[in-house]
Amino acid sequence: MNRSLLRFPLLCCALAVGPGCVTSTVDEMTFNEPAAGIGDASVVILGRRHASDYETEPDFIECVGDHIASRDKSIDVIGELEFINALYPWFEPRTAPLRPEDIDRLLLQEPVAEKMAELKTEYMIWIDGSTVRTDSAGSMTCGIGPGGAGCFGFGTWGNDANYEATIWDFTDKAEVGRINTSASGQSYMPAVVVPIPIIAPVQGTACDGIGDQLLEFLSSEF
Amino acid sequence: MSRSMISVPDRYRSVALAGLLVALAALAGCGPTKVVVEGNFPQPLMEPLPLTLGVWYGEDFANHEFFDEAKGRSESSWLVQTGAAQVQMWDTLLGGMFENLVHMKGPPGPGQMNQVVNAVLIPHVDELQYTIPTQTNVKVYEIWMRYRFELVKVSGEPIAEWTMSAYGKTPTAFLQSDQAAVNLAAVVALRDAGANFATGFTRVPEVQQWLQVRDKQAHRRQQSKPPAAVTNEEVSPL
Repeated sequence: MNRSLLRFPLLCCALAVGPGCVTSTVDEMTFNEPAAGIGDASVVILGRRHASDYETEPDFIECVGDHIASRDKSIDVIGELEFINALYPWFEPRTAPLRPEDIDRLLLQEPVAEKMAELKTEYMIWIDGSTVRTDSAGSMTCGIGPGGAGCFGFGTWGNDANYEATIWDFTDKAEVGRINTSASGQSYMPAVVVPIPIIAPVQGTACDGIGDQLLEFLSSEF
Repeated sequence: MSRSMISVPDRYRSVALAGLLVALAALAGCGPTKVVVEGNFPQPLMEPLPLTLGVWYGEDFANHEFFDEAKGRSESSWLVQTGAAQVQMWDTLLGGMFENLVHMKGPPGPGQMNQVVNAVLIPHVDELQYTIPTQTNVKVYEIWMRYRFELVKVSGEPIAEWTMSAYGKTPTAFLQSDQAAVNLAAVVALRDAGANFATGFTRVPEVQQWLQVRDKQAHRRQQSKPPAAVTNEEVSPL
């Protein structure tokens, strides 16, 4: 009985603490913004995955796409997997175009040109980067016995996110913008019977940062 | 007599059955972690080559699997079966890359009764390497494969032979289990193999040469035909 009384305030404490702190910076350089929005054209957001030591996370790409589509319902964002499946094998890590000029080479193939026209893709946004764990410290011990279970200790770790979005204008086959976002934060996990995670939403902050800037570029409402 | 031997009291039978089930469960726990690779592979978006291609999947290829024995008691062995997924991927890819795809009745060779096709492709997996987090201490699953392709005539006469690599990597973070992660790494490697093959087939020097000779022969046939006679081009193995 006493234990459950103790757990309740700890749980309340965990809920009250909320997320950890994140510092974030966004740099933006864009040209030829579509002043009236992109109309009924569509946008595709793709992750770069040709580096050997990291991969842009698919859930980050999905997060940016959802961020844009949920704030401006008029923008049609094509899902990454749907797009690369529809254009297989031209957007796989080893075959994806690395420069806007490479699109011309792709469009020489009639089925590719037809599919692109069908999808009405006006902007192709490439996101390159990843979130990494920088450091971690502390220790935690958990145990289970006849009277219940519990943990004791303290853990902390840091995360760094660094992403760059490159916007390609599909009609002009030109690069029209670059947005860079970096975010870092420290997460903590103190545990006295119940672990209390104080997570710094580093990747989420980077997603919001890059999503907001892309929205400013693509949407007429922002 | 035999009837009395097999009729045991019900309670003994149920105890024996329970014991057998426990033993089987215990044995199953000792077995390797088995992954049957499954995935969806899209059709290639390309103009099909005007060829009737035969394909022959050897036993080794169609039932391809790799086994990694545990090095210690804390590790588990792995059995990854890629054969069915290989066949599914190559059927989908080749079906989209060539005007007609034919599954050969037998391995191409002299005296072997087979369908008439322009050429037969025989894929092999020559080598497969992989890393799992217990080996690298980083949360990355990777699969690397080296394929060898033989392009031969129906008679078995070689046209071209070349090798090609494929690579698949997937982070664990987005997946629920090690099996799902290994499956996804294999699917990514198979997609990569398809992409590499589709974009590189016509650039293989011997294949390029063979296609050029075919084109020249087709052109000569066209010129030698009387102008009024318009017939469908026949499939003629070179």
